[in-house]
Amino acid sequence: MELRKSLAGRIALTAVATVILLFLALPIVVILVTSFSNNAFAAFPPEAWTLNWYKALFADGSKWPAAMSLSALVAALSTVFSLIIGVTAATALVRSELPLRSAVFALVLGPLVIPQIVTALGLFLLFEPAAMLGSPIAIALGHTVLASPIAVLILIATLRGIDERLEDAAASMGAGRLTIARKITFPLAAPGMIAAAIFSFITSFDEFYISQFLSSVDTVTLPVRVYNSLTFEIDPSVTAVSALLTAFAILALGLVALVRWIGSGRQGSLLSVENTAGVATPGGETV
Amino acid sequence: MAALTATTPAPARPRKLLASRRTRVGILYALPVVVYLLLLFVYPIFSTLLLSLKDADGSFTLHWYADALSGVNLSVLFTTLRISAETAVLSLVFGFVLAQAITRLKPLWAGLAMLVVVVPHFISALVRTYGWIIMLGDKGMVNETLAWAPGAPFQLLYNELGVVIGTTSMMLPYTVLLLYGVMRGVDRRLLAAAASMGAGRVTIFCRVYLPLVGPGLASAGLLSFILSLGYYITPALMGGPNQTMIATLINQQVTKENQWNGAAAQGVILLLLTLAGLLLVKLVSSLGASRKKRSGS
Repeated sequence: MELRKSLAGRIALTAVATVILLFLALPIVVILVTSFSNNAFAAFPPEAWTLNWYKALFADGSKWPAAMSLSALVAALSTVFSLIIGVTAATALVRSELPLRSAVFALVLGPLVIPQIVTALGLFLLFEPAAMLGSPIAIALGHTVLASPIAVLILIATLRGIDERLEDAAASMGAGRLTIARKITFPLAAPGMIAAAIFSFITSFDEFYISQFLSSVDTVTLPVRVYNSLTFEIDPSVTAVSALLTAFAILALGLVALVRWIGSGRQGSLLSVENTAGVATPGGETV
Repeated sequence: MAALTATTPAPARPRKLLASRRTRVGILYALPVVVYLLLLFVYPIFSTLLLSLKDADGSFTLHWYADALSGVNLSVLFTTLRISAETAVLSLVFGFVLAQAITRLKPLWAGLAMLVVVVPHFISALVRTYGWIIMLGDKGMVNETLAWAPGAPFQLLYNELGVVIGTTSMMLPYTVLLLYGVMRGVDRRLLAAAASMGAGRVTIFCRVYLPLVGPGLASAGLLSFILSLGYYITPALMGGPNQTMIATLINQQVTKENQWNGAAAQGVILLLLTLAGLLLVKLVSSLGASRKKRSGS
């Protein structure tokens, strides 16, 4: 393919690729723009700008704040559960000799490949007889089934990325296992843990299938409320909510990128001390 | 020296002890995830399976499956397969072109393009679907831009076209990421070797490049097919009555008709289709691995 590339062919490929990128990006841009439009339905580009839909969100009698706080509560619970499961499972899978490791790994991947509606149906059949429909705990436990595998995968990558020589070095200098965990492993794993927490939170916050099956009339999470307002009760504020959800997701992704970037410097600096120790001026460390 | 030789057999014991300690730690740390997923993932699916085989009086029956595979339910199953296949083909074609274009970009532009591919994936599918509904409506952006065309405004919503546009945009990030990885893994020297022997561009593409990326293409297509099978949000919001998919039916049976056994049978069918697809993915990728090994040697 590295031969004569005709200019026309390259231009055509770039043009088509741009159209496909627009295909991915436009629905999101449209939501963000329309949320400030005076006509919340369809008309694009907007004729006039307004903040009314955002104001309506928090007006008296609005159903949105309750849905938002329920979703935030559920997502926070689910994040805590996912982190506990994620840290222990990643430790088991990366840093120990685990019998049936591949079976455990397959179990972890399961919820990610099985259709979510099937998982949701199963959870409904589990929680309905227990009269737990509408309970935030039940919804959070359900979301954890989807969020914890993501946390496990992120933390596996994190633990693999930590140079075990740093831990060995600390051990050789007499540090106990707890000290190593506290002073070496935890600080190096912190960016990964924050990323795992953020992704667990988003997964739960945006989750729809399980929420819909496990919600009751009084407890409705934000995505279910959005879905209902798109199908049954036409509420123009749904555009503002969608824009907020979008902004929230982009912010969270930015945060993950930032934490990663800071974290990548940390291990680098520890290892570079080790690597440049021989080059450093003799006695420079002791003075 | 003598002391050293005397102690050589000794480390075997501590190492074994250490190994068993590491095993114990492993089991201890694996417990939360295993117990959690067995209780809240495997057991519920298992009870779904049981429920789908149980009659009203608790005796064994297959009639929920007979129900699920006949009449309207069967046509919903076919619709599901058809829409999933259309989505898989389209997201494969678009994904191929986009991934191909990105591999030729300079790193900075490639990074930016990847950002546009990946970021939408983390934004709620509900929100993206709503974005499409706004865009594709009679007075939406697409119809306004196409206003000059004969036949405008076009009906782009509440039909199969709308559903497939929506689901394709949801699956596209997966295919682009998978295909980008596959394309980056192609040994460019093989293409150069073919060129040096006088093969034309079309020949190189069909005889060398496609066979190399073929298994990756197949896995990406199968994966988007599988993921579309259980899709609910976009078909329900962007489709009409003829685009009812199996997930919508499961949802209706549980929330509106209280027909849990029927829903369970449909869930199991969906699950089996997914597992069959995953098995195919595994088969294809092991085929691809062996082919890669052969071409490399």
